[in-house]
Amino acid sequence: MRQAGMYSGILSGGGISGRTGPHLLPLARIKKIMKKSSVDVKMISGEAPLVFSKACELFIDELTKRSWNVTIQGKRRTLHKEDVATAIATTDVFDFLIDLVHTNTSDHVDLNEDHVL
Amino acid sequence: MDDSSNKFSVDETANQQERLLPIANVGRIMKQILPQNAKISKEAKETMQECVSEFISFVTGEASDKCKKERRKTVNGDDVCWAMATLGFDDYAPPLKRYLDRYRDLEGDRSTTPQTNNINEDHDDQLLRPSSSSAAKFN
Repeated sequence: MRQAGMYSGILSGGGISGRTGPHLLPLARIKKIMKKSSVDVKMISGEAPLVFSKACELFIDELTKRSWNVTIQGKRRTLHKEDVATAIATTDVFDFLIDLVHTNTSDHVDLNEDHVL
Repeated sequence: MDDSSNKFSVDETANQQERLLPIANVGRIMKQILPQNAKISKEAKETMQECVSEFISFVTGEASDKCKKERRKTVNGDDVCWAMATLGFDDYAPPLKRYLDRYRDLEGDRSTTPQTNNINEDHDDQLLRPSSSSAAKFN
């Protein structure tokens, strides 16, 4: 059996109150999201949400930096949703996010217009 | 008529909170990486929330598939690292492995009597004892 103090201590960090201990993201919430990702996910070790808390930081860092580059190119100082969408469209590793951010653009795509494929 | 729509929006909000990481935390991480004069729209933060959850699901799915194939029930830290490298996030793997190793060392030391803290410091010790000696002593 796991030691109660260690496990609950790690998982209780975070939430809206902002108390996340040494981690920036709430581990219990991460665990919930992991569980929802697939019916095959049965058990999750204590370290997995921890690895994700760091990985999500790295992910947010990378996507934010790339989005900001788009913002700068547009000579703006406010990062907008469209900048994130552009960063996703131009980065291979973020292909899995394309549908998530581009669900609105299908209305605007006109295959007969001057978009040359 | 308003009662039913109110109930719907309350459920929606609760659902949202369950499947997304808190916007304050996400926003803070975004701010940290940007220059001081940068501003972030609320919509951009919300979009980032969605993207992070999708990232977690995406990687977890891959890790879980691996466990299923290997007939293991528990998704562990190494599975997550492996899945990330497989999906193209290989530059995340080294810092994550270091993070995981440091965590494992700390947890190992905490569960044993305060002794060999210098496993990582002194290379000579590593020749005499395996790096997981704290786990061995635990038994």
